[in-house]
Amino acid sequence: MMDFLEIDKLSAFYGKAKALHEVSLTVKQGEIIAIIGANGAGKSTFLDSIMGLTKTEGDIRLEGQSLIGRSTPQIVESGVGYAPERFNLFPYMSVYDNLLVGAFTARTDIEKNIKVVENLFPRLKERRNQETHTQSGGERQMVSLGRALMSSPRLLIVDEPTIGLAPKICIEIASVLKRLRDEFNTTIVITEQNANFAMTLAERLYVLESGSIKIQGSVEELKNDPQLTEAYFGH
Amino acid sequence: MLEIIIQGVLLSGLYALIAVGFTLIFSVGRVLNLAYGAYIMVAGYIYFYFSQLLGLPPIAGLLLAGILGACMGLLKYNLIVKPLKADHIAVEISTLILAVVLQSAVILCFGNSAKILLPIIPGVIHIGNATVTYNVLVATIASWLILIGLYLFIKRTHVGRAMMAVSMDTKGASISGVDIDKINMITWGISGFLGAIAGVFFASYTQLSPTMWVAPLIIAIAIVIVGGIGSIIGTLVVAHIIGFMEIISVALISPQLRGVFTMLLIILVLVIRPKGLFGREEL
Ligand SMILES: Nc1ncnc2c1ncn2[C@@H]1O[C@H](COP(=O)(O)OP(=O)(O)O)[C@@H](O)[C@H]1O
Ligand SMILES: [Mg+2]
Repeated sequence: MMDFLEIDKLSAFYGKAKALHEVSLTVKQGEIIAIIGANGAGKSTFLDSIMGLTKTEGDIRLEGQSLIGRSTPQIVESGVGYAPERFNLFPYMSVYDNLLVGAFTARTDIEKNIKVVENLFPRLKERRNQETHTQSGGERQMVSLGRALMSSPRLLIVDEPTIGLAPKICIEIASVLKRLRDEFNTTIVITEQNANFAMTLAERLYVLESGSIKIQGSVEELKNDPQLTEAYFGH
Repeated sequence: MLEIIIQGVLLSGLYALIAVGFTLIFSVGRVLNLAYGAYIMVAGYIYFYFSQLLGLPPIAGLLLAGILGACMGLLKYNLIVKPLKADHIAVEISTLILAVVLQSAVILCFGNSAKILLPIIPGVIHIGNATVTYNVLVATIASWLILIGLYLFIKRTHVGRAMMAVSMDTKGASISGVDIDKINMITWGISGFLGAIAGVFFASYTQLSPTMWVAPLIIAIAIVIVGGIGSIIGTLVVAHIIGFMEIISVALISPQLRGVFTMLLIILVLVIRPKGLFGREEL
């Protein structure tokens, strides 16, 4: 049985240093999964690798089609949207222009996608003409997610969606991600340092330590796992 | 007074056109293209060859210079800049070498002596007590039209916005589906085209000589440094500061000082405001 996203013994390298060690995982269509890990565990490296931004070995298949060898823009075109850790927005462009750049590969759906994004994040509609370098962290995260959605992705990957954000904004972001899955059947992979937050959103968790998967299972299974409790609910 | 204003406006429009191609490359590719002045010179000679030696109509010579300029830009990106991408110093040194090579090539083909370009459109017009050649007037109007066109292209089209996006965040552009390499190629092509058109106008404003690439290169560098990167408006404003400074110092002090104030301005801005007057903070 073929899963929507299949990652097979994925390793990633920075020069000679191996930052990811034979990571394998699968995600079903319409599922939300979370990769949990401390700082430096390799979460961003893992997501960058899906986007073709690092040097890798192993295989990544989206609906059976390998993404290996495709360029980052081609991977976007294949249906993967990415909201990275530091957002990588275009600081001196307006919110609206940031979104339009996100539509570079999906120009026929611009009107529809702008409506979807501004409906999910009404604040972006109010702030349409504001340059993003003047925005708060929460607003930038919204622009970043919005920009990723402008390419009509079937798989959305989000690096630490709530890091540094106020609890109220975290809840808002979480509910948007849930809506995306429920209303658009978007498959979602997020990373998190905070296992509590991840469990409110994801159905299954993978725990990443020093570039390897150490624990995996459904939220139900892991809720009372002493290993996880110790390491990731401590703070 | 009127004379100074008119000459200042005319020269500044041309300077803005000279600088904008250079600014584009610096903003999008973060490459200081020191061969840019040489494009300007070579374009002048290409125009001279087609329009004056072969006798093609001026507009054909201008377009041919523009197209060949775009090809030079593309060749340079693919043969030098891309292979050396990681090493900025190597790119800068090789662009400077390329400039000197082009200078020698031009001497071989056309000789060492300066040449006068016939006006693209002959005739003069009197505005008050100032005399303006049609040639210079056309060059300035064309510069403005090209700059406005470029501004609209960058603000209003997908490719133009992608160029801006790449200049601000390459990773962000890439994960938005923008092919960075393709955008760089387009930028080098546009820059070569603009440099070439500016070159024909500049050569007809001054004269054609194998060493004429230095002055426009310094003007372009000055405008980028003072104006900061990534801003067409900044380029326009600073082109006018520098254009007027030159005209005023020539008219009121001495023609020998023409370029000196420009260089002083470069140094002053580097010292007090390294990001340029209109520059953006790096994030
Ligand atoms: N660009 C890079 N060059 C070299 N090493 C890197 C680079 N990015 C990350 N690393 C290393 O890879 C490991 C994983 O980092 P990262 O993926 O950023 O972890 P996380 O996102 O979980 O905090 C760390 O040891 C980090 O130092
Ligand atoms: Mg990270």
